Amino acid sequence: MEAGQLLEITEQGNRFLSQIEGETGINLGACYQCERCTNSCPVAEFMDIKPHQVIRFVQLGQRSRLLGSRTIWVCLSCEMCSAHCPNEVGVAEVIIHLRNLAARSPYPAHEKELEIFYRKFMGELTRFGRINEIWLMTSMNMSPGILIKKVKDGSFLPELKLGLELVKRGRLHFWPKKSKAAKELRRLQEKLKGR
Amino acid sequence: MELAYYPGCSLEGTANDYGRSVVEAFGLLGIKLREIPDWTCCGSTAAHSLSEAMTILLPSKNISIAEEMGLDLLAPCPMCYNRLVYSLDRIKRGLEDSPWPLTGQVSIYDPTRFLSQQEFLRRIREGVKRPLKDLRVVCYYGCQMVRPPKLTGFKEFQNPTTMDKILEALGATVLDWSYKTICCGASIKMGRKEIGLSLSFKLLMKAVEFGADAIVVSCPLCQFNLDSAQFETGKNLLPVFYFTELMILALADSAVSINFKSHLVDPSPLLIEKRLYNL
Repeated sequence: MEAGQLLEITEQGNRFLSQIEGETGINLGACYQCERCTNSCPVAEFMDIKPHQVIRFVQLGQRSRLLGSRTIWVCLSCEMCSAHCPNEVGVAEVIIHLRNLAARSPYPAHEKELEIFYRKFMGELTRFGRINEIWLMTSMNMSPGILIKKVKDGSFLPELKLGLELVKRGRLHFWPKKSKAAKELRRLQEKLKGR
Repeated sequence: MELAYYPGCSLEGTANDYGRSVVEAFGLLGIKLREIPDWTCCGSTAAHSLSEAMTILLPSKNISIAEEMGLDLLAPCPMCYNRLVYSLDRIKRGLEDSPWPLTGQVSIYDPTRFLSQQEFLRRIREGVKRPLKDLRVVCYYGCQMVRPPKLTGFKEFQNPTTMDKILEALGATVLDWSYKTICCGASIKMGRKEIGLSLSFKLLMKAVEFGADAIVVSCPLCQFNLDSAQFETGKNLLPVFYFTELMILALADSAVSINFKSHLVDPSPLLIEKRLYNL
């Protein structure tokens, strides 16, 4: 977008604002762009759309721009922005809600590895009812493209070295601990249909 | 006195040292922790990112069992703690329906606020056998235990002091610093390692600048991030303790029961220098 370019607020845009306000219960009209959220954010420098801009773009109905952004995947949910907002706008809650919407949309995740990590985490969670870090990392690394990328960019050997050190120090166990309730969680997930 | 204990996955995995030290430290104050039978994962950041209904309903299973046990609930991992109070809040407000019976009568505690109640601080002060004098520490609280304050009920969310009070009661020199609640990077290293390392190192460098000998935490992920960042870069700056490990060190009959081998940055040279530990 060029600086000074006017955005047309379409019917779809208006609906997007009502949708986000309805689904999060947050009054986005309360934001007056003071930028305290962005100033308190520890990862704002790594975001393509800054936290205060996220709120403005929701007000303007910029759905595709937000769901395709890097910001919604980089956010740490550290809640610094929401805690500092003078008008109680839950900035972090809006960002995480956009991440949920993006995960169910055709837009490719801007931070693919993080999205894969979360998906594999949910897979392990419903398999055993609990997370075993070795099984989780193995499942992550077996996903298409991940291991090759890590070998190529030189991050795999350090990861392996750290993993072995943790095994040596008794912080990782190969055998997963299971909860008998895992089956109930699988049933719940099925019933919710990705909600 | 008894509490229902929700360890969470980290406390039987990468932070099993934290898990053991929590049980022992509470035991030293006469509080018995009863593990929730067949507890399941809280969903953590993954459920929060991908399924907003699961992130509310997963913890409710564990809260329901705690209620059945008739005990208040202790969650030492801040992520689990945050997810549990979030879940209870949403269900109480009628925004989701738990598939498991839930009355909402249970109180959920993080260990630092539980132990910084006057009564326990007094018991800690009276029980100290090895005061941690000359040990200069900064307490690091991270995000999830403290924020959002509306949910966690943390009154001093900009400057929490619950761990500071416990460490002072143990005789340590607790330094004031401005980075108590600035994020360590959480799980971002899974996709963007450089961001995680830069956030962790900012905290480590500031702790050194403020003159600390060590950082004290109550979060398995904060400990792992701050500890492993030093291992991965080969720059050993500071050991990172769980506050419960230091409680055992000061309160137990024998300091030998505690094992620091799980730490990537070895704290024993520091403790030996301060005459708090002999091998």
